[in-house]
Amino acid sequence: MLKVERVTKVYGEQEASYLALEDIAIDIADGEFLCLLGPSGCGKTTLLNILAGFESVTRGRVTLDGRDIRGPGQDRVMFFQDAGSALFPWLTVEENVVFGLKLRGTPVRERGAIIDRYLAMVELDTHRGKFPTQLSGGMRQRLQIARALAIEPQILLMDEPFAALDALTRRRMHSFLVDIWQQTQKTIVFVTHDISESILLADRIAIMGVGPGSRFEDVIRVDLPRPRDPGDPAFGEIYRRIERQLALEESKLGDGV
Amino acid sequence: MTTTSTAGRGTGRPGPRVSPSRGLVERLRPLLMVLASVGVFVLLWQFLSTFVLNPYMIPPPTAVAAAFVPMAETGEIFKHVTVSLVRVVIGFVLGSALAIVVGVVMGRMRVVYELLDPIIEFLRYLSPTAMIPIAVIWFGIGENSKYFLIFWGTFFFVLINTVAGVMRTPVARQRAAQCLGASEFQIFIFVVIPSAVPYIVTGMRVAMASSFMSIIPAEMLAADSGLGYLLQTAGMLVQTDRIFVALATISLLGFITDRLFRLLVDRTLSRYMAFVAAN
Ligand SMILES: Nc1ncnc2c1ncn2[C@@H]1O[C@H](COP(=O)(O)OP(=O)(O)OP(=O)(O)O)[C@@H](O)[C@H]1O
Ligand SMILES: [Mg+2]
Repeated sequence: MLKVERVTKVYGEQEASYLALEDIAIDIADGEFLCLLGPSGCGKTTLLNILAGFESVTRGRVTLDGRDIRGPGQDRVMFFQDAGSALFPWLTVEENVVFGLKLRGTPVRERGAIIDRYLAMVELDTHRGKFPTQLSGGMRQRLQIARALAIEPQILLMDEPFAALDALTRRRMHSFLVDIWQQTQKTIVFVTHDISESILLADRIAIMGVGPGSRFEDVIRVDLPRPRDPGDPAFGEIYRRIERQLALEESKLGDGV
Repeated sequence: MTTTSTAGRGTGRPGPRVSPSRGLVERLRPLLMVLASVGVFVLLWQFLSTFVLNPYMIPPPTAVAAAFVPMAETGEIFKHVTVSLVRVVIGFVLGSALAIVVGVVMGRMRVVYELLDPIIEFLRYLSPTAMIPIAVIWFGIGENSKYFLIFWGTFFFVLINTVAGVMRTPVARQRAAQCLGASEFQIFIFVVIPSAVPYIVTGMRVAMASSFMSIIPAEMLAADSGLGYLLQTAGMLVQTDRIFVALATISLLGFITDRLFRLLVDRTLSRYMAFVAAN
């Protein structure tokens, strides 16, 4: 269980300070798929960085299975939107995956099977000798996924990983991710500002308000069976509910509050 | 720099393929164009020097070639080339090595950067030429003063590029490595330094070109051998043909060295030279 208890995050000092998050609280169950949804600049990346251990909290606590998160760890892996800069361009597809295994101290004779398994899972097993520059955007994202899964983290933290992909590739990546999630039972925290994407993927959607002092305005449970169909009336209903909530946030922005 | 991929041997990357259906002419086109360019230039030069300009001021290519032959026969020109080349290579290697070491530390450790940057910003405006008099006083007229001057010229180019390369290592890449379990030191060695390689190599190429420029005044003012010395003595005796031989040799030497450097980089570092564009 990943517990976020009344987390407040202030960037900077005194006059130059900015209250990014205020009193954020949520319990994320093991194996849960949570989406963070909200307008640009509301603090989604900030919260994800806190969960990853890249940023510290100003007040409050974040615990994983009762232990405080103090820094990055191999139990949580972050996915970056820009896979091109997150990958190691001087290493081949296979070597990118090996990188984490080496650090983890996985014995050489066990590495082969792990690499085969995860590269097959993301359908990159026929491209193992290629360099990241020679992959398409979607392939790079899949490589990022394989590299992370290979070290068997408990939690995947994903910051708009598919935002830059075309609609078709994105749809393929969604079914990939859901398949992998169902196979491996990881906990996933997925940041997006695309309402449909969040309904397609999540068990729960946490909607964040505009900053400063952004908090969760609403947390919506999505109980639709998977694979989900955007044409489903229930899907549309949830969509409109979220849209109303976000429109409310927009209007707050307009009022300059 | 927008290099995307450099075809590398032994790295499993496919090189650029020329389809066999393309004609021989099409394939040889780049070479033919270079030959045409040089040919036209030489012919024009010959014509102008012979019929329009004063052939004594600008000796025609035939006169330059005639001056070159005895210099090659006695080995005089090759002696000067070797001397200059050795000076450049030694100064360049020393300068690059120290600059890379200092550069990675500066790029990574803020205090070191803050302490050294003002001094470097100040010193880098002193060209090697400006340093000649003091170099001669410090190191004498022998080889050491030349090594020092080339070192001086190389150091700042490579240093500034190395620092930039280290600092521009994407945060996402470092954080990704951290998630995969890398320690601060491992990130430095296995992520930051490889990410800085393209910048370092670029700095070295610029430094190499500048080394060939700074060795000449150094040898003109304070040496008894080398291409700069050859240039200087030919100038004092007003031997324009020998001056032109020296000038052509300097150009050719710089050009060949740059190509060799690029070939070496391609052979050994090609996998580090790729920049990954955002998605
Ligand atoms: N290092 C920082 N220093 C100061 N302020 C910051 C810093 N990082 C983020 N902020 C501020 O915190 C707020 C939230 O930023 P954050 O990047 O978390 O937004 P986001 O929800 O991820 O937005 P987007 O959807 O555009 O990615 C913004 O107002 C931003 O200016
Ligand atoms: Mg963000």
